[in-house]
Amino acid sequence: MMPLPHRLLERYLPSTDADAIVGDLIERRVTGLRLWREAAVALWHFRDRTPRQGDLMATFLADLRLALRLLGRAPTFTATAVLTLGVAIGAATAIFSVANPVILRPLPYDRPDRVVVVWERERNGTRSTVGFATVRDYITRASTLASAAALGTWQPTLLEGTESEQLSGLRVSSAYFSTLGVRPALGRDFRADEDVAGAPRVLILSHALWQRRFGSDSSIVGRSVSIAGTPMTVVGVMPEGFDDVTTPGVQIWRILGYAVTDPYACRTCRHLRMVARLRDGVTLERAQSDLTKIHGAIVAENPKEYATVGAEVVPLQKEVTRQFRPAILALGVAVALMLVIAIANVANLQLARLVRRDEEFAIRTALGASSPRLSRQLLTEALVVAVLGGLAGVGVAALALPALVRQLPPELPRLSAIHLDVEALGLVAAVVLALTVVVGLVPRRRQRTDSIADHLRAGRRLAGTRQSAVRGGLVIAELAFALMLLVGAGLLARSVVQLLDVDKGFDANNLLTLQISSVGPRYEDDASVFQYHDRVRDAVRNLPGVVSVGVVSQLPLGGNLDNYGVVAQDKPLANPEEAPSGDRYVASADYLTTMGIRVIEGRAFTEAEGRDTTNLVALVSEALAARLWPGESAIGKRIRMGGDQRPFRTVIGVTANVRHSGLDATVTQQFYVPERQWFFSDNQEVLVVRTTGDASAMVGAVRRAIREIDPTQPILKMAAMDDVIAASTAQRRLALTLFAFFAIASILLAVAGIYGVLAGNVAERTREIGLRAALGATPRNILSLVVGQGARLAVAGLALGLFGAFALTRSLRALLFGVGPHDPATLAVATLLLLATTLVACLVPAMRAVRVDPSQAFRAD
Amino acid sequence: MLGELEQIVLLAVLRVGDGAYGVPVHDEIVRLARRDLTLGTVYKTLSRLEEKGLVRSFEGDPTPQRGGRRTRCFAVTTAGRKSLESTFATLRRMAVGLDVGLEPT
Repeated sequence: MMPLPHRLLERYLPSTDADAIVGDLIERRVTGLRLWREAAVALWHFRDRTPRQGDLMATFLADLRLALRLLGRAPTFTATAVLTLGVAIGAATAIFSVANPVILRPLPYDRPDRVVVVWERERNGTRSTVGFATVRDYITRASTLASAAALGTWQPTLLEGTESEQLSGLRVSSAYFSTLGVRPALGRDFRADEDVAGAPRVLILSHALWQRRFGSDSSIVGRSVSIAGTPMTVVGVMPEGFDDVTTPGVQIWRILGYAVTDPYACRTCRHLRMVARLRDGVTLERAQSDLTKIHGAIVAENPKEYATVGAEVVPLQKEVTRQFRPAILALGVAVALMLVIAIANVANLQLARLVRRDEEFAIRTALGASSPRLSRQLLTEALVVAVLGGLAGVGVAALALPALVRQLPPELPRLSAIHLDVEALGLVAAVVLALTVVVGLVPRRRQRTDSIADHLRAGRRLAGTRQSAVRGGLVIAELAFALMLLVGAGLLARSVVQLLDVDKGFDANNLLTLQISSVGPRYEDDASVFQYHDRVRDAVRNLPGVVSVGVVSQLPLGGNLDNYGVVAQDKPLANPEEAPSGDRYVASADYLTTMGIRVIEGRAFTEAEGRDTTNLVALVSEALAARLWPGESAIGKRIRMGGDQRPFRTVIGVTANVRHSGLDATVTQQFYVPERQWFFSDNQEVLVVRTTGDASAMVGAVRRAIREIDPTQPILKMAAMDDVIAASTAQRRLALTLFAFFAIASILLAVAGIYGVLAGNVAERTREIGLRAALGATPRNILSLVVGQGARLAVAGLALGLFGAFALTRSLRALLFGVGPHDPATLAVATLLLLATTLVACLVPAMRAVRVDPSQAFRAD
Repeated sequence: MLGELEQIVLLAVLRVGDGAYGVPVHDEIVRLARRDLTLGTVYKTLSRLEEKGLVRSFEGDPTPQRGGRRTRCFAVTTAGRKSLESTFATLRRMAVGLDVGLEPT
């Protein structure tokens, strides 16, 4: 075997030069690196003499010029192909750019695969947040954890000068950041000696907050800032681009600083989350069994304080992407389908164009162009189309991505990390290349098999059967994929309709909601908080266009999780932790009427009852009443919330169930208590305003009325209830919008494809059709000839598509609601819709065939 | 006026004499000029000299130790000799009185 350098020289140098040099190299027995150097230098020196290479480049440039000229002369084809590719590649790039940081790429922490989230596990398998004492026991007893930390939500109000701002924050253990594997960019991390009750309150800021509120001033470290009137010290600033995925959008972290003796640090006060870093070499399974064993021991020691049966260890990455994985994966599938359809369609367009160029190629062959030369020509044209399409795709992606990101739910982790990335562009390049090969080579195969003589002899000959088969196959594939997307869109649409149709338990029309606050030194005692609420209610109620106003501690479907165990006096429990939990609605008397929540049994409390702090009353929801007293009336029964030091309250009414945590979630249980009768005042409340007309039109007037009472208090989350509900279905609606878009686009492509095949076919078969007409075929016969061909393609495509839809919709299951993945109605409607559309597309070429005049058909040549 | 590489290669071809081809020419250059040129560079220079009419080339015989490949032999033309002479004459004139070892003898 001759060494490669010798072969290269012989291939690329003229034979006399090659003989001379290679002969010398052999005679000298040059080998190894030295041989490669000799070959490289010789090839370089004689580059102008290498006929193949020079020829190749010149040919390519000539092909390129010719391709550009030809494409310029077919602007419709070029524009259609480039746009089709541009939209498909752009959409694919955009979706991939989102999916990559959000669910695919590892978290930007130190060895992120070691970081886990730990939950307590309920008896029914659901997981629960953790109490402080439990976290402490887990940390001290676990041998599988290198470090661990607790975190709890915190919503501080930052007071700087006259401006107040509500921030999204976390209270975290001192080891929090080191557990995640990140360090502050400025200042220092929290210290363990600060994580005790009574220690100075220390803060770490996010980079964005530091930039926005403190003008990137590095002297902030060590300075004191006012959090709702309490001074706290900033000790650090996190690096730019650090995204706390446990709580997307968090701006500020405060040291947890709990003592085990704190009332909120108990085992049953399960309001904390826990993150941990596994020791090196410890598997997830080992950590899981270690913590479950520890949990068992803790429960055995404190039997009355646990209803949970174990611990659950989940990798952080999996945890943060859990909610969004299904939607993004489904979209990925949709976009892949659309990409395939787009490529098939461009291939189809190219084929249709080739039919018209048969004679051009026949003549060029007759004039001496070789077959590989013509293949190269076609390949070059395909390459030009693909590159233009790819460029258009990058443009489309650049435009679509910001729009897409705006549509994404803000709780999506790592939103800020989304940008048009290199890997996405790599995808574009791969697609462009694949397309080049498919479009450039498949049609040429057919070209090569027909002899030139055939073309010239036959003139406008009968249909090229092989090409028809390829084009038919492409159309079948397009229809199949279009049906899959249409079924997906149909199922998602039905899910959203079903979801919005769910009985919410309240009337969301003409309802404005907003969050009001009462923080700072002015609101230190409960009385002034309640007084402020009363004044706000009065002021807003007197606005023209307002029917009624209510104040409540949390909003249904507002994303809050504030619940308490409800214990009935007549049903004592051995373990109070097993009490059913109720969503806590601390409300003003007019809340229920404003929301339109029905009282099914008994009555609501009055304004006067609400002000009376001795006779305690409560309302319970239907579900809670049925859970506590099955088969009995709840009226007159007594319940207690918040532990056995708290007083019992008399149930005076039963309300309709309200959808609290999501339209698709299981029904939860609620209780309602007058705000002055609860054992503390909330400094963040929700105001609900029933309006006579469009709720969002009242935004300005309501804001002014509240500002007049106290301009220092922030007003947040002002939105019509309809929008709050829409936001709670955001993920599905986004998936639906995109699926519908892809489905419509792919139907258009498929219809264009089937039209193109039939139209081309009719044009090619003009003589045959004319002959049939002359021999007595009726218009009806000819119509059925063409439509029949279209129908065969359609039926094949749709049958294939139904199989595909069965597979695809299973990946959609997590997004469906109230409709099965194989819903027969949706499948039927989608199939019929596509069939009807396809047949309409057949009619135009069919009519053209009917109108073929036999005398004209033979005169064409 | 010849370039440095051209002078060296021309001189090497002259030194080898009849049937000068790549290997012996290259050997002379390595031995006397102490330059580690590649064969490609030698052939490239020879090609340039041929274009200028200073050498001519002809195909030699194939030998077994060359894997049956023909040699390409070079010989210096009259124009080549004249060009060398004029180059050296120029150098000598420029060097007169400088005591650099190039004085006319």
